[in-house]
Amino acid sequence: MKNMKITKGFSALLVTALVTTLAVVTPSAAHAETTCTKDVFTPSSGGSAVNFQVCTGTDFNGAKYEIRMPSKFNGMLFLYNHGIRGNHNMPKVPVIRPNGYVVDMSPEVAPGRTTNDQLLIAQELLKQGYAVAGTGVSAQGWSVPEAIQGNLQLISAAYEKFPKISKIVSWGDSLGGHISQALSEKADVIDAVANLHMAGSASSQYTYANDFLWMFKTFFDPTIKGNGYSSGTAGYMEYMGDITKVLTAFGTIQAAIEANPLAPTWPASSKVPDSLKAIPVRSAVLLIGLLAGVPVQSNTYDASSGPAGPLETSFGLAISPALGVFENAFTALALALIGNYDAEVRCGGTIFDNTDTDYAARLGDNGDVYAAGLTGKSATAGMLAYLNKLNPAAPRVKGNPDSINCIKNQQDNYTGKITIPTITISQTADQVTPGGFIQKFKDLYAENVAAGTAKPGMLLNIWNKPPDTYTKFDAAGKPVTPALPTTGTSHFMYSNKDLLIIAKMLATAGKTGKLPSIATAKSAFKKNPNIFIDPDYKPELMFADR
Amino acid sequence: MIRNTRMKRFSIVSAVVALGAMVVTALPAQAAEPGLTSSEIKLGISTPLTGTAALSYGKVPGAMKAYFDFINANGGVYGRKIKLVVRDDKYLPTLAATQTTNLVLKDGVFALVAALGTATHSKAYAAASLATKKVPDLFVNTGFSGFGNQTKYPTTFTVLPSYAMEAKIISKFVKDKFPGQAVALVAQDDEFGVDGVNGFAAGSLTLASKTLYPQSSMTDARAKALVTGLSAIPGKPVVILFGTTDVTALIFKAAESLNLVSKFTWIAGSVGGDANTLLALGVKTTTIDGAIAASFFPDAKDTTDEYVKEFSKINSKYNPGVSFDNIVLQGMNSAMLTVQALRAAGKNLTRAGLIKAIETKGSTFASAGLVPLNYSATSHIGYNGYWMGQLNAKGELKPYGGTLSVVTTDSTSGPITPSTYMRPSIPKNGIPTNS
Repeated sequence: MKNMKITKGFSALLVTALVTTLAVVTPSAAHAETTCTKDVFTPSSGGSAVNFQVCTGTDFNGAKYEIRMPSKFNGMLFLYNHGIRGNHNMPKVPVIRPNGYVVDMSPEVAPGRTTNDQLLIAQELLKQGYAVAGTGVSAQGWSVPEAIQGNLQLISAAYEKFPKISKIVSWGDSLGGHISQALSEKADVIDAVANLHMAGSASSQYTYANDFLWMFKTFFDPTIKGNGYSSGTAGYMEYMGDITKVLTAFGTIQAAIEANPLAPTWPASSKVPDSLKAIPVRSAVLLIGLLAGVPVQSNTYDASSGPAGPLETSFGLAISPALGVFENAFTALALALIGNYDAEVRCGGTIFDNTDTDYAARLGDNGDVYAAGLTGKSATAGMLAYLNKLNPAAPRVKGNPDSINCIKNQQDNYTGKITIPTITISQTADQVTPGGFIQKFKDLYAENVAAGTAKPGMLLNIWNKPPDTYTKFDAAGKPVTPALPTTGTSHFMYSNKDLLIIAKMLATAGKTGKLPSIATAKSAFKKNPNIFIDPDYKPELMFADR
Repeated sequence: MIRNTRMKRFSIVSAVVALGAMVVTALPAQAAEPGLTSSEIKLGISTPLTGTAALSYGKVPGAMKAYFDFINANGGVYGRKIKLVVRDDKYLPTLAATQTTNLVLKDGVFALVAALGTATHSKAYAAASLATKKVPDLFVNTGFSGFGNQTKYPTTFTVLPSYAMEAKIISKFVKDKFPGQAVALVAQDDEFGVDGVNGFAAGSLTLASKTLYPQSSMTDARAKALVTGLSAIPGKPVVILFGTTDVTALIFKAAESLNLVSKFTWIAGSVGGDANTLLALGVKTTTIDGAIAASFFPDAKDTTDEYVKEFSKINSKYNPGVSFDNIVLQGMNSAMLTVQALRAAGKNLTRAGLIKAIETKGSTFASAGLVPLNYSATSHIGYNGYWMGQLNAKGELKPYGGTLSVVTTDSTSGPITPSTYMRPSIPKNGIPTNS
C-alpha cells in the first residue's frame, strides 16, 4: 500500500483493483454494499432543516465506515481520522479504565470534545453543504497502514456512491492527524489537509513514552516490567500487573506530594539509595519529565503561579513545574504501557531500546532553568548518576531489532513531502504529542522543499498556548484542577468554534489549492488570545528525533 | 471591446504599481522593523514586578522608564520617543518565557532591554525565538558567563560583570586582606553559584567550607543550622555569601539571633549585597556595618558622583516617590546605555544596525560604571571588573581601606589587574549626543 496512489480519474478502477488485491489477502473479509438511509436535523446554529443521507458499509478488511451526505451537496467531502484507541479489551481499572474497555471499531465522521460536539461539527458542515465521512479502521492501536487502507477504501466507496464528489479534504486528530498526513502524501485525491495535535512517528512517540516509563520504574518501582511481555495470556497478565504497579507508585507519590509539597517522600517500592531519597521526590519526577520531554505545564499547573502567602514564588519556581510533569506523566505512562503491550503483540518483541541512551546529556539548559525544582545541581548530579547505564541497579532495556524495525518501517510514517495545502494546529503544552513532534514535521518539510520534493509555501502551523498564568488555588492554598481542560494543555480537543474555523480554512484551501495567508489565519483567530502563528516558533525536537 | 478591456486592465495594473511605488517612497526604509515608527521606538522588558525578587529589582523598569521619559521630554532619539512595555515575570523561568514571547509577538517590540536573571532569560531567549527573529537583547542583568556564547545568544548583550570575574576578584581580595583566615563559601546551587564556584577555583581560594543550596530552599531554620555549623570553624572565618539578597538577609538574621554576627567577616556578592534591600528585609544596621561587598558602580548614596547626582535629579522629577538607590542607579544606567546604543545605530534604525552599533561603539559609551565596558564584535559582555568596599551603618558602600581600588579581569584564567580606566563624563545634562 505504501506506493499506492489514487487519482480521481482512476477511482472506479481502484475499487476493482482493491477488490482483487485485498480479497486475496483477506479472503474472509467480505465487501458489503454501502447502504444509505435518509435523515434530517434542525441545525442548532439556526436555519432550516437539513436533509441528508447516512451511508454505512464495511470494507474488505472489515473496517466499518460512514458517509453523511447532505441533499444540497457542494462537492466537497471532509474525511476524518480518529485518534488512537486501545486494541485490547481491558477490565475495569481505576483511573485508566474505570468502566472497563471493549475495543471500539466504530467510525467517526468529525472531531469534537464529546460525542455531542462531534455531532454538532458534522451537522454544521452538512448544513454548509459538505459531506463528512470516516473509517473505524480494521485494527486499533498504532495502526497507520490499516488506517490508510481504510481511508482509501472509504474514498473509493464514496466515489462509487457519490460521483459528484469533486474535492476531498482530510483532517484528523492525534494519531488520526498522522494518518491524514500520511494519506495525503500517498493519495492524489486529497486536496488539502488539517492535522490537529498530530502525532509524531511511531518510533519517536514510543521512545518518548518508554523513556519516561523506564525512568519511572527505575526510580520508583523496579519490579515494573514495562517491556518484553510474555506471549499469550501470561503476557496479558504481566501487562495488567504493570498497570497495577504503576498506579500504586503513582498514587503513593501523589499522596506524598499532597501531604507535603515541599519535601514529599519517595514510595516504599523505590530501591534507590537513601542519599537520593533525601531529595524531594517531586524533583525526581521533574527530572525524568525533562529527560523524556514531558511539558512542565499541565491542565492544572502553569509552572509559575503559587498560592498567596510565603510559598507564592517558591511554589511557582520549584514545585509547580514538577507537579505539571506529574500531572502530564500519567498519560505518558498509560501510553507507554498500553502502547507497548499492543506494539509487542503486533511486532513480536520489545520495541524499545535504551542501552546506549545518555540521559544526562539530555538535560542541557534545563538543568539551569529548573535548578530550583531539581533541588540544585548536586542533587541533580546524584539522580543522573543513578540513571547512568553503568549503574547495575538501573538495568537498561534491550530491544528486539526486528520488532524495533517493525515499528520504525512498517507504520507508513509521514515524510513531509507536502504538495497540497497543509495546516497543523497543536498545543504548546501537549503531553501526548508535545510540540517537538511538529517541529520534526516542519524540518522534514523544509528538507523536502530544499530537495525539490515538496512545494514551498504549503505548510501553516498554528499553535494554541495556555493562558499566561492559570493555576487556581482554594482558600487553603491547594491547587484546584479546572472543570474544563486548560487551553493549550492536555491533548484536549479544540472548541467547536476553533474547529469550525479550521474547517473553513481547510475548505477554502481545498478549493483554491492555496493556504490562507498568515494575516488571514491570524484574523480568523483574532478573538482567541491563546492562538498564535509564528513561523519562527521552534519547540525543541523530541529526543528520538534529534 | 477586447482592446478596451485590455487597456483598462493595463491602466489598473499601472495604477497599482504607481501607487505601490508612492507608498514605498513615502515610508522610511526601516518601516518593516517591528516596534518602530517614524515617531516611536517600542522597547520591552520582562522582569519581576511581584514576588520575592521584586523587592530588589522591581524598581528597574520604573527607573528606566523615568530616564526614557526624560529623554522623550528632550526630543527623544532622533525625534522618536521611546516607549517601554513592561511585563511581570516574577523571576520565574516559565513566566519569563511567556512574557518575553508576549513582548515580541503581541506587543511587537523593537528590542528587549534589561531582562533579569539567568534561568529566566535563558529559557525566555529560546522560547521567544530571539535569535531567529534577530531581536536585540540589550543589557541583560545577569553575570552568567554563558550568555557570552555568541553562537547561542547572538543578539544578547549582558551588562553585569560575570560571576566568575567577581569570584576571582573576591578570591584575590580575601587572600590579600585576610591571610590565614579560614574561608567559607555559601552559594546558590545552580548556574549562578556554579559560575561563582568556578571563579573561586580559578582564583585559587582555599575553602574550609562550601555550602551549596538550591534557590528558594533557604529558610530561617536552615540558615540558623548553617550559621551554627560555620561557627565551629576556629578563629574569625571569612564567610562569602554568593546568593540573592533574600538569602543574605536570612543568614544575617540567623547570625543576629544566634549572637554570631561578630564571629565572622562577612562578604556579600554583588547580587546579594544591596544594603537598602537588606535593611528593608529587617537586617539590623549594626549587622551590615562592616560587611564587605563588591561593586562596579559608585555607591548610590555618593552624591559627589556626577552620575549619581544627575540620575537622582531625573529620578526626583520623573520617578516621584521612589527613593534613589543602587537599583534605580542600575536601571537608569541601563536606560542611558540604551539611548546611546539607539543613537549610535543612526537615524535609519534597524535591529541589525543596533547590534552592530553596540559591537563597534559600545565600549565607548558613557556610563556610571567605574570599570570599562567590554563590548566588541567578539564580546557581548559588559563590565569586566569590580571594586571592594565596606558597608557602614547607613548602608553606604565605602572603598575598603579608604582608597578606591578598581580591578579588571576575565571569566577564565586571565590575570587580575588594576584598572586604568578613565570613566567618561556624564553627557551634558544627562542627555547623550553620541552618534
